[in-house]
Amino acid sequence: MTATELMQPDEQSTRTKSLVRVLARTLGIRLLGVLAILLVISFLTFSLVYLAPGDIVKNLLGNRPTSPEAVAAIRAQYNLDDPFLMRYFDWILNALRGDFGESIRLQQPVTTVLSARLGYTFALMSLSFLVALVVAIPMGVLSAEREGRASDRLASTLSLVGLSAPSFALAILLLYLFAMLIPIFPAYGGGSGGLDTLWHLTLPAVALAAGIGAILMRMTRAAVLRELQSDAITFARARGLPERDIRFIALRAAAIPIVTSAGLILTFIVGGTIIVETVFALPGIGSLLQEAVLFKDIPVVQAITLLVAALIATITIVVDMSYLLFDPRVRAKELNK
Amino acid sequence: MKTSSPPNKRTRRFFGVAIAATAALVLSACSSGASPAEDEAPADLVDSGQGIETVKVAFPGSLANLYIGQESGILNYYLAANVQEGLVSLDSEGKFVPGLATEWEMTDDSTYVFTVREDAKFHNGDTVTPEDIVFSIEQAADPVASPGTSFYLQGMASAEVTGDNEITVKTENPNASFLTNLSNVGALVVTQQAFWEEHDGKVGTSNSLLMGTGPYAVTEFSPDSHVVLDRVDTWWGEQPPVEQIRIDFIPDENTRLLAAQKGDIDIAFNVPLKQANSWQDISEGRVDAVNDLSYAGLLFDHEVAPFDDPNVRAAIATATDSEAIVEKLLHGYGEVATSIMTPESLSQVYDADAARDVLSNLPHHSFDMDRAKELLEDSSAADGFTTELTYPNTGPQLGTAAQSIAENMKQLGVTINVREVPIEEWLATIGDGEHGLGFMWYFSTTGDPAEVSSYLLGAGNDSHFDSAEAQRLIAESDAALDPADRVNILLQLEEENHKNTHTSPLWWGQSLTYFSNEIGIKDFSPFTFLGAWGPQLYAAE
Repeated sequence: MTATELMQPDEQSTRTKSLVRVLARTLGIRLLGVLAILLVISFLTFSLVYLAPGDIVKNLLGNRPTSPEAVAAIRAQYNLDDPFLMRYFDWILNALRGDFGESIRLQQPVTTVLSARLGYTFALMSLSFLVALVVAIPMGVLSAEREGRASDRLASTLSLVGLSAPSFALAILLLYLFAMLIPIFPAYGGGSGGLDTLWHLTLPAVALAAGIGAILMRMTRAAVLRELQSDAITFARARGLPERDIRFIALRAAAIPIVTSAGLILTFIVGGTIIVETVFALPGIGSLLQEAVLFKDIPVVQAITLLVAALIATITIVVDMSYLLFDPRVRAKELNK
Repeated sequence: MKTSSPPNKRTRRFFGVAIAATAALVLSACSSGASPAEDEAPADLVDSGQGIETVKVAFPGSLANLYIGQESGILNYYLAANVQEGLVSLDSEGKFVPGLATEWEMTDDSTYVFTVREDAKFHNGDTVTPEDIVFSIEQAADPVASPGTSFYLQGMASAEVTGDNEITVKTENPNASFLTNLSNVGALVVTQQAFWEEHDGKVGTSNSLLMGTGPYAVTEFSPDSHVVLDRVDTWWGEQPPVEQIRIDFIPDENTRLLAAQKGDIDIAFNVPLKQANSWQDISEGRVDAVNDLSYAGLLFDHEVAPFDDPNVRAAIATATDSEAIVEKLLHGYGEVATSIMTPESLSQVYDADAARDVLSNLPHHSFDMDRAKELLEDSSAADGFTTELTYPNTGPQLGTAAQSIAENMKQLGVTINVREVPIEEWLATIGDGEHGLGFMWYFSTTGDPAEVSSYLLGAGNDSHFDSAEAQRLIAESDAALDPADRVNILLQLEEENHKNTHTSPLWWGQSLTYFSNEIGIKDFSPFTFLGAWGPQLYAAE
């Protein structure tokens, strides 16, 4: 019987209420922190894109003769002659009102541009995260249980390949193998929706999952191995508990580092999409960001950076909160604050 | 949970295949000694007369906007040529042919009168009115609505409807290249006024698409992904055999090659020179090379020392071994340029061979290291100097040429640091007042003989020099309405450039296009993709 089950109903409800209060307070503080970070990031990104080499006027007009009127019209349209800080404050005031501006490169509202791309990137990230989880965690657990044996060495070698192969090379290799030699997957593009898109996203997702899966596998192996070698497990074995129960105890204890690394790799996926989407010609957020940075399309770069930063912050908060669920010690500590 | 020897074996086999595949990729990436197109026997294709459901085309980069007034890259022109028309067009030899105007005449030196085609319709079925055409001209000339094309119509005085099917356009001064500007290869792609106003001028985006009069209509556009052109039944010309043209944007060159090897691509534009061999090895297809009206040359900023000294400029031009660059580095896909004008740009006056004769007789800097040394010793930079030469990541051939020039200049005590930069950064270096030495890489769309030379030598040029003589010759050539007279004046302009080495021509380029052997194309020439090329495609057998 657990401690909670032994409690009286009144006592349990008080505990639940105080847990909710603690959660709300923690969340509130974290959210304020996130807002501050987003503000700093928005300023840094704006400054970096502003300082980066390149000229919006040349990017728009290309390498051909132009009239001074056309140059003046573009400079006026994008307020290029305003001082840097004025341009930043203009942007942030509009952003606070929910107006993220218009993409300079695509001549469309940023929200329209992003909404057309989010689906692909979200699907790609989810699929690759799923592939990484499904493959890496069991492999890590197995590897730890069979430490030093052939299967452990094989898994370690595979993770080494996944970690060290650059994602663009891996992507091209996968294309060559599974689109060309064994033509079961398409070579490029995002497909026409539904199952077709899933089919198109499989190779990119695997290319993206390889590196992050390798990290996750190593983290899982290390965490499970540490638990299997802990006093608690030795004691459990001494008590003659069945191996299944022992494995459960070890996995539960190892859950925190595994979830932390899973959260961490989810943030890596966001960066990885830039390369993978370019190689597989996928119209997602990654390829959009790459083009936008090169073009100095500040409104798009700002919106994507903030979106990604907010996503990473959310993932971090969710991971932190999950500790309360997994570890009674963390839960008790939070409640006693 | 049960991993044992069988998966282990499978994994080993996988590794074997993987290593072999990697080796194959590395080999294909390294193999670069392609042979020029002349050595290749083009596939003997016959028109089967069959219709084609879809032709899949690969572009090496994405378009951001489909309206050439907004984004004016060469690929934008190629795409728009199937969808929108100007008053006139160019045929495969670069000569004017009717577009939306069936005929035209000059009533005086500055007045063009066009008779509008009566059977012209927009893709929505509405008849094209002279008012729509005048509206389109006005928008194309507006620097705010069309920053990409307004330059070309600066000299226009007025455009008016002067009859039921008649339009009169006047220029401020006699302007020999003006008719080109009223074609789809210049500044004019006719759209419907109602369509433009419905979208508040924001045409060519993924929401608004395009409204035109050509043989194909844009039915889908997703930037960084694809654009779909569907055949229409509103075009005045003969119904083309291809129903749909789907253009995919595939930026990674290895992915593009794999897709073609897999048979997913029927036509690929701008095959990279270094991959020419791999593309030619595709058994179901062929690679055709054609002069693409492009010009590559060295650009000097006359306000940046020591490039203000003509001897320094001449020394670099003389130390440049253009023949070796074209033969060894471009693998023969190009020609040594003796002038800024390409041979094709003289097509209104000379045929291809005669044009080459005329241009090769122009004075030019031949490769001569001893002479280059003398020139440098007679210059303000006799002790040598250090400079930077950047080239765009989309033009690796410029990079190899830069290395060759740097190697030769090193022997003369000049250090040239060659740096590859993204094309956006490279564009910003042109005429930035900091880079004394740079490349000019220009893809002409009009094929007009003065298009590039007036840009490089005229007022407000990126080299920051003012040459009264050059400007006089450009003005004179603009006013010379007889094509032969005009070319003669432009030849004098080339001599003037050579005398001062304002800028130094390197090569006239070629583009490589991959075609699946199931697809044929009629009249493949430097001008094909600048006209409605969809109807030129046929099912081959």
